[in-house]
Amino acid sequence: MGAEAATPPGGAEGGAVSRRALLAASAVGLPVLLAACKGVRALGTPPPPAPNIIELRSAIAAEELMLARYAATLNLLRSQPAGQPPRLEPAIQAVHVEHAAHALQLKARLIEPAGSALALSPTPTPSVSAGPAGDVTAQVGALEQAEQAASDRLISQLAGLPPSLAQLFASIAASEATHVSFLQAARRVR
Amino acid sequence: MTGSAGHALAALQDALAAEQAASYGYGVVGARLPQGSAAQAVAGSDWVAHLRAQDRLTELINARGATPAPAAVAYHLPFPVDSPAAAKTLAATLEDRVAAAYLGLVAQPEPELRRLGAEQVRAAALRAEAWRGSTQAFPGLPEASLRR
Repeated sequence: MGAEAATPPGGAEGGAVSRRALLAASAVGLPVLLAACKGVRALGTPPPPAPNIIELRSAIAAEELMLARYAATLNLLRSQPAGQPPRLEPAIQAVHVEHAAHALQLKARLIEPAGSALALSPTPTPSVSAGPAGDVTAQVGALEQAEQAASDRLISQLAGLPPSLAQLFASIAASEATHVSFLQAARRVR
Repeated sequence: MTGSAGHALAALQDALAAEQAASYGYGVVGARLPQGSAAQAVAGSDWVAHLRAQDRLTELINARGATPAPAAVAYHLPFPVDSPAAAKTLAATLEDRVAAAYLGLVAQPEPELRRLGAEQVRAAALRAEAWRGSTQAFPGLPEASLRR
């Protein structure tokens, strides 16, 4: 290697750095230094959540919506207790408790990196109207349809989930399918 | 056979063993229910569902070049079954065990096995609900796997 190659571009001589070389180096390095001063946000938005986190949050939101629908139906039922099938209210209460357990287990598995886009926006508690006034039967029929749809949706989301989460989804899907026949039976008893 | 294929085969054999035990158990259930009753007819159709599931699992195991494990000659019942009520409890218990075995298939990465497992967990849970008259929050999942 010759002496020329050891001389930095810009004309350093005898180990000294020229003013022009310093200015050139500053121009290149400045944006990087500025970015570093702004912290992590300046490097870009947080990475998107993993697919299983999206599925998990969707399942939690579905359970919370179901909880709100059952609470609304219970309120409607309690406002008109006369003439209702006697097993309906305890059945709705029992299913409500199971949905609360589903939501709890799903939330226990939700571990999101701090600062992720979804973690920064909490889901609002859903509010559900009681539906057609006085129509408990229609309301419970709608719950049965929602249960079946939720069961099917969970099974359709299994691909790609980690094994233990897939097992939880499948078990909840099975539970929600049983709610359909359980509610139907409670409606029939007079 | 790779680790994943070996695990899938073991899960299929476990599901088959649970189906074989359920088929045996439904013989006891049917015998303890009133002759000609609606409950006995349901037990008969549930027994047929388990036989069909065994056929499906046998096909899947054969397709992987393995031999399906044979059923046992007899099975130890989990409790004495000497009344119609005990027979219904046995049917629900058998279904719980079938659901648990199929969750082993759900844990496999192959989408076809995962879906089959989930469909069968659901079918078993529905039969268990019909026998028990009540639902469960987490059919097939052991208590220890639930987070506190």
